Amino acid sequence: MQHTHISLAHGNGGRFMRELITELFARYLANPLLNTRTDAAALPELEGELMMTTDGFTVQPLEFPGGDIGALAIHGTVNDLAVAGADPLYLSLNAFIEEGLEIAQLERIIQSLATAAEHAGVKIVTGDTKVVRRGEGGGVYLATTGVGVKYPQQDLSMEHIQTGDCVIVSGPVGDHGTAVMLAREQFGMRGDLQSDAATVLPLTRALRDITGLRFMRDPTRGGLASVMQEIHQATGLGLRLWQKYIPIREPVTAVCEMLGYDPLYLACEGRVVAVVSEEDAGKALALWQQIPEGVDAAVIGIITESPQRVILETPLGGERILEELEDDPLPRIC
Amino acid sequence: MQNPNRPLSPCEARRLTITGQVQGVGFRPFVYRIAHQHHINGWVQNRRGEVLIFAEAPTEQLDRFLYSLLHEAPPLAKPVLAKSIATDTEDLETFMIKASDANSVAAVHVPPDYYTCPDCLSELHDSKDRRYRYPFINCTQCGPRYTLIKQLPYDRPNTSMVAFPLCPACQQEYQDPLDRRFHAEPIACPKCGPQLQYVEHDQIINGNETALTQTLTALEDGRIIAVKGIGGYHLMCDAGNEQAVQQLRDCKPRPDKPLAVMFSPRGEDGLAAIREVANLSETQSSLLSDPARPIVLVDKKPDTLLANAIAPGLNQLGVFLPYSPLHHVLLADFGKPLVATSANISGEPVLTDNRDVEQRLSQVANAYLHHNRPIVRPADDSVYRVIAETPRPMRYGRGYAPLELTLPLQLDKVVLATGGQMKNTIALAWNNRLVISPHIGDLDSARSLSVFEQVIADLQQLYEVQAEVVVADAHPGYTSRRWAEQSGIPLITVFHHHAHAATLPLEYGIEQPWLVFTWDGVGYGEDKTLWGGEALYGQAGNWQRVASFEPFALPGGDKAGREPWRSAAALCWQAGLDYRAPREHELIYNAWQKHLNCPTTTAAGRLFDAAAALIGLVTDASFEGQGPMWLEAIASPIPDHGPLPLQQDNDGILRADWTAILNVLQDSRLDAAERASRFHASMAATLVAKAERLREQLGDFRIGLSGGVFQNKLLSEQVLVLLEQAGFDVYLPKTLPCNDGGLCAGQVMEYALQQHL
Repeated sequence: MQHTHISLAHGNGGRFMRELITELFARYLANPLLNTRTDAAALPELEGELMMTTDGFTVQPLEFPGGDIGALAIHGTVNDLAVAGADPLYLSLNAFIEEGLEIAQLERIIQSLATAAEHAGVKIVTGDTKVVRRGEGGGVYLATTGVGVKYPQQDLSMEHIQTGDCVIVSGPVGDHGTAVMLAREQFGMRGDLQSDAATVLPLTRALRDITGLRFMRDPTRGGLASVMQEIHQATGLGLRLWQKYIPIREPVTAVCEMLGYDPLYLACEGRVVAVVSEEDAGKALALWQQIPEGVDAAVIGIITESPQRVILETPLGGERILEELEDDPLPRIC
Repeated sequence: MQNPNRPLSPCEARRLTITGQVQGVGFRPFVYRIAHQHHINGWVQNRRGEVLIFAEAPTEQLDRFLYSLLHEAPPLAKPVLAKSIATDTEDLETFMIKASDANSVAAVHVPPDYYTCPDCLSELHDSKDRRYRYPFINCTQCGPRYTLIKQLPYDRPNTSMVAFPLCPACQQEYQDPLDRRFHAEPIACPKCGPQLQYVEHDQIINGNETALTQTLTALEDGRIIAVKGIGGYHLMCDAGNEQAVQQLRDCKPRPDKPLAVMFSPRGEDGLAAIREVANLSETQSSLLSDPARPIVLVDKKPDTLLANAIAPGLNQLGVFLPYSPLHHVLLADFGKPLVATSANISGEPVLTDNRDVEQRLSQVANAYLHHNRPIVRPADDSVYRVIAETPRPMRYGRGYAPLELTLPLQLDKVVLATGGQMKNTIALAWNNRLVISPHIGDLDSARSLSVFEQVIADLQQLYEVQAEVVVADAHPGYTSRRWAEQSGIPLITVFHHHAHAATLPLEYGIEQPWLVFTWDGVGYGEDKTLWGGEALYGQAGNWQRVASFEPFALPGGDKAGREPWRSAAALCWQAGLDYRAPREHELIYNAWQKHLNCPTTTAAGRLFDAAAALIGLVTDASFEGQGPMWLEAIASPIPDHGPLPLQQDNDGILRADWTAILNVLQDSRLDAAERASRFHASMAATLVAKAERLREQLGDFRIGLSGGVFQNKLLSEQVLVLLEQAGFDVYLPKTLPCNDGGLCAGQVMEYALQQHL
């Protein structure tokens, strides 16, 4: 490709667009099922119940310590299928590219996306690109749709959650949200902080044979607290979390303390929260702790009948209520 | 002088309806006694909230009876003659007390919890009395009420005393209309009433005297005991034992927040022991002796026997007298003052349940002195500060709550006001009645929220009204607002400082326009920024913001509430001056430059925080208000420091520019006390300058001071003097707390007046 930056011509259906697709997208994402000359991908016959999910990606900045929008576009969709109890297989990819985006950066992103797809064992089987005018997009927006096959022995749903169940988190929370925030605001780099963006498949697969596994979720936007809130609202049950057991990395704590953020509300991109029956919780925890993705896993709370709220027990014995995330949190202490 | 030869006039009969504070205060036995005294036949009957009397006798006797009824009532009763109707005589031959009528509907009053009255006190100390040293002695004139009533009418089966069947002796007293304990609902004696229990690790000791002995030994040893009282537990320890007090602080943890101290009543007026450690004014003395027995902030003397760790950094001290018989016995036996601080997790309501307190305070309490009379709902101790020779409530609780006020107009609906976020109280109002709950706590904790919900449910049940509209603070993140949204009751929101302002017209009248200075920490304002240094002009229900401060951006948002250095940084950075954050300077400075979580505020409370930090007194606070309190403690009144420069902005709001004071605060040639004094003087002068400028524009108004900043005695007294000198009519709340504890009442006023606009 002769150009260094994306122009509107890369989206007009002509030569530039063809070049962009073949030299960038197809080059890195090539696989037997991806045929850039057909309108639809033909997939082999699949056995079992299919699951499908879709997600859009608009993260700023496009590249941040520990990841980028490309890897995120794979992890987001793969992880949604994984926590639903499925093995992801095929993904579609949509890219909305802003006029003026540096092609070298786009290439890095596609490369990273391809690597992430390979790691997760998924194939991009169809896709589309559009170019939007300068000022109308944040460099590039991505959207992926994924298809997977449900693991037959598992039936995961919030409806199965019962009083007494344990809440387990696979690792430290808030890393992604903190790293992206610092990168976005162009704070001086901190070597000790990076996104946790990763596929959670090893984690979800590790719990395949846990019969007491009720439900899993990857705590992305809104963080751990929002998943807890969601469970509470959907089931009417209460949740009691023990602050001292919730893993949070020291630099995340330090940055949040200083800036006045609560890490429990900040996004993760490579963690899983699982609700497991009391009797199977120890087994599940041990399985996670045995694999690299779950070494810091911890039982952080239990499902309660009453009071029917999300309560965080502080190390001093206080009980803080974790409320639903506010649109624009303002100080309340007077 | 009456002519004894004058023939008796013929009998006539009247039906009297008595309202006011007439339940739970020994009013019916009193009626019975004076009826006998004046030879009246008829009956008296308790209805819900009022007392009905049928009286027949010759006119003169009836008149004398009526006079006694209204003028000689027992000290705790406040009878109001609501109706007096002449009716046919029935030729009755006796006067009797009729059983309560539970089906009637009337203006119910829930009595607060009272001290131990002098009569009970002398029995308590009388070795021949059957209630000698009995920690639960009470009568119709004293004892718990609000904290043990489950429902009305106020009869024993409706209280937490239902579990204690009366022994024959108590039954006798309870049934005798001429006895002081006639229908004393919590009546008890060592035989049939509640008992103490001492628990230390696995050791459980039952029995009043043995439990007391253990407690005293533990206190002597410098240990910390959780002692169950009337409205909750106290953490108690020897107030003269530095190590014990420090241990309490370290374990709670509560590094700096002042601790209240309870003193044994000594000397003629009972205040001799307190005078050994503090100078008392006449107002403070009478407040301390009030039957409500509040904690009163008093000036501490230097070099007393009290531990230094009791109120570090402050020159005032919270003191009070024992109010429950248990406290009396404990204090008398111990012989020295005891720290008596609410047993709770910081910001939460005081703990009331035996098992709860053992679970939740095990890291601080070495042992527990329980009793088996359940506390139905918590009531923390009340706190008063005397400002300008007038008692001002800082916190309402035991002894006062539920507090009843009269609204200046009639409400169209039953209103529930859910108050603020911190120091929450709630209010229930209907017709022209306003009932305010005791202090609940900071609502971000689960226990506060459940007490909040309980009190809302209980007050509606006790007063037999159902909220038809709920009024909440406009802040979208307040727990009290979220609760209101989810309550299913039609919601009206009121801005924080409008509610603060409206407490003045509630207390002092709605006839004239007001200019209310609402200075506090932060509250959600009309322009979605955080107000707190405003002057609002108008009337309840219709306020206009006419003065404020130059806005500034608080780095780290909510964190600034506990870290005064953030306010200092905000002011310095905005003024282009250097300020080095105590940690992670680059990070937070960057965030401030990019407005990342740096909400805009005009809060005067934050200016006080900034001053405390810039002087170097408090950069990180361990309790709310520590910066301003320590700042006030080192300052002294100085004549005048000149106001901050004022300028009217494009919206016509008169803004004070705080830049000018930064140089003074950072001037290392002046000592800390001098700088603190000048800061106070300048803030006072600024307020006065605003008032004068606004008088030129708006004409005459009454001035009100509302918001937590005016808990500052030095500032408030300076402001009052200067405003009065300038010819203003100025008011500071004295019935309601000027802090967020008064918000719920202001919210009701805002609703009430908006309905009438």
